[in-house]
Amino acid sequence: MSDFVRDFLRLRRGPWEMLASLLIGLGVLMLMQPFALWAFTWSFLTTLAGTVMFIVVSHFPE
Amino acid sequence: MSDTPIDRVARATPIPVARRIRGFSDRTIAWIFVAPTIFLLLAINIFPLIWTINLSFTDFRANRPNREVEYIGLENYRRILTDGDIWLTMQATAHFLFWTIALQVLIGFTLAWLINRKFRGNDLWTTLIVLPMMLSPAVVGNFWTFLYQPQIGLFNYVVEFFSGIPASSFQMIGDVRLAPWSIVIVDTWMWSPFVMLICLAGLRSIPDYIYEAAEIDRASKWRQFWTITVPMVLPFLMLAVLFRGIENFKMFDLVVELTGGGPGSVTEVTSINLKREAFEKWRTGYASAYAIILFVTVFGLASIYVKALNKVKER
Amino acid sequence: MSGYSITEPSARQKWIAGTLVILYAVITLLPLAWILMTGFKSSADSISYPPKVLFEPSLEGYVNLFTTRTRQTPEYLASLPPAETWYDELVRSKDMVIAGPSRYGERFLNSVIIGFGSTFLSIFLGTLAAYAFSRFKVPLKDDLLFFILSTRMMPPIAVAIPIFLMYRSLGLSDTHLGMILLYTAVNISLAVWLLKGFIDEIPREYEEAALIDGYTRFQAFRKVVLPQAATGIASTAIFCLIFAWNEYAFAVLLTSGTAQTAPPFIPTIIGVGGQDWPAVAAGASLFLLPVMIFTILLRKHLLRGITFGAVRK
Repeated sequence: MSDFVRDFLRLRRGPWEMLASLLIGLGVLMLMQPFALWAFTWSFLTTLAGTVMFIVVSHFPE
Repeated sequence: MSDTPIDRVARATPIPVARRIRGFSDRTIAWIFVAPTIFLLLAINIFPLIWTINLSFTDFRANRPNREVEYIGLENYRRILTDGDIWLTMQATAHFLFWTIALQVLIGFTLAWLINRKFRGNDLWTTLIVLPMMLSPAVVGNFWTFLYQPQIGLFNYVVEFFSGIPASSFQMIGDVRLAPWSIVIVDTWMWSPFVMLICLAGLRSIPDYIYEAAEIDRASKWRQFWTITVPMVLPFLMLAVLFRGIENFKMFDLVVELTGGGPGSVTEVTSINLKREAFEKWRTGYASAYAIILFVTVFGLASIYVKALNKVKER
Repeated sequence: MSGYSITEPSARQKWIAGTLVILYAVITLLPLAWILMTGFKSSADSISYPPKVLFEPSLEGYVNLFTTRTRQTPEYLASLPPAETWYDELVRSKDMVIAGPSRYGERFLNSVIIGFGSTFLSIFLGTLAAYAFSRFKVPLKDDLLFFILSTRMMPPIAVAIPIFLMYRSLGLSDTHLGMILLYTAVNISLAVWLLKGFIDEIPREYEEAALIDGYTRFQAFRKVVLPQAATGIASTAIFCLIFAWNEYAFAVLLTSGTAQTAPPFIPTIIGVGGQDWPAVAAGASLFLLPVMIFTILLRKHLLRGITFGAVRK
């Protein structure tokens, strides 16, 4: 866990990609969940943020 | 890399001679070889994409090309993302996605596990099982409407044969409650073999000695399954699930020919909904914004997919 | 491995596993068998209850698939000269006469032209790009490869809107060329990724030896790499062909007449009073059979094809 935090702070690819993936996953869940309209409304921005983040952080060093 | 014999020869030779020997430089060749592909993709994928982004901020209608086009900013996005009907469409897609993936993982993994028992003739049966997934979804979907006919269809007859429910008493496609399941059944029939093939590769990548070691440690078969088999197959399963997820999120051909989105709109998955907006109602600007939303979602999932792909590749 | 192995399943386990898998295979192949069978049923047999497994084979479906017919009165039929061919006779026995050929032949031919055309182009461009990605240091290689793959993931309907507009203004809608270019763009990502995998497996030493022998890069590529990659190229080509053959979304949105392929056409086959199921089944059979045969030929490379070359077994 402390490795994770350290790599995170040193801008390493692994943990950041994980975070971006989680954000994308969250966006997709928000898009298709049947519970709250507001979550549907904000799903697109969440996915977009995750995707852009993924593109950026996949260029971080290993 | 750069110390192959040819590189050493190349460095030792004067440049004009080297050029005569080697023709173009590697870098030039690389560009000559890659450029046509990139060009084609730019022309047929990227240029249209940029155009779509541009259209998504307008109220353009493709059936009235001469009407004045107005830029309306983010209005299209706002309308789509607060539209309860599109939200319902997403939920129909979610139902389809969730159940197809759950059933396919269950059936696919079980089949792979059984085939990996290496009984005689398993290769032949694997090949036969795989057949449905390579076929045209539209043609297959259309034929399944025949199998689902209430009175004469094979599917209803088989259900009657095993359960006693009269074949003419239910309509898979016509019934609001059953129609979402009719598409789940056909998709599962088509794509379980896909999950099976990938799981099988995962199972076969586990070296025997791991099980042998576990056996020496007197781990039970049940424990071996959960501590060795499942974790080792998981990356492969992830790959299959992501790919099926992306494919079924944009599902079009099978469902169009099977139910056409009906009855009402209970099986109207997003691609069908988008097709209606774009090519039946001709709200091109609005549909473009809708397309961008789907596009970003798929692109996000695809980046995770490629990550999973590379993970499996390293094995 | 000789003797007893603890990882080898017992005979009883194998027997149970085998039975279950064969049972699944039989169930899963039933709908396919039903398509092939229905093609040889008469209309009456095809809609009988309970569904008929044993029936008198008839070519009615195939005749109906390739012809258009008109219903006539018995008096008119009696006034005609005797039927010249077996299919004339078959149609007349249903109180109809053949009015002309149907569109199925053309649509099937369109599928063949577009399928082969786009496959050839994707393989040609794909092989070059895959070779470059496999052997040279291409700047931004990973990004380019991801970009190429991501184009395949795009929802066809989302891409179709601007392509529809673009083709309309270029005059490419409903033309063979337009569809070939479009399907090439869809397939090229698969071709590049698959072929890169195959070319990666060819040892570099072969080319380096050829280069030392005085071949240029082009010659080495043509005379050393291509023959070595032949199997890979062939199976990639079959994959591209199958995907182009099966494609439906673009075909239904961008073609209507001249360049329409078979998948959007088959569901529109209708007879008198409802869908003519034997004809639909006949059309589907002719369309699906080549793919089934190709799948069986491809079985060794299937896994590679569906995972873009990532899983090689």
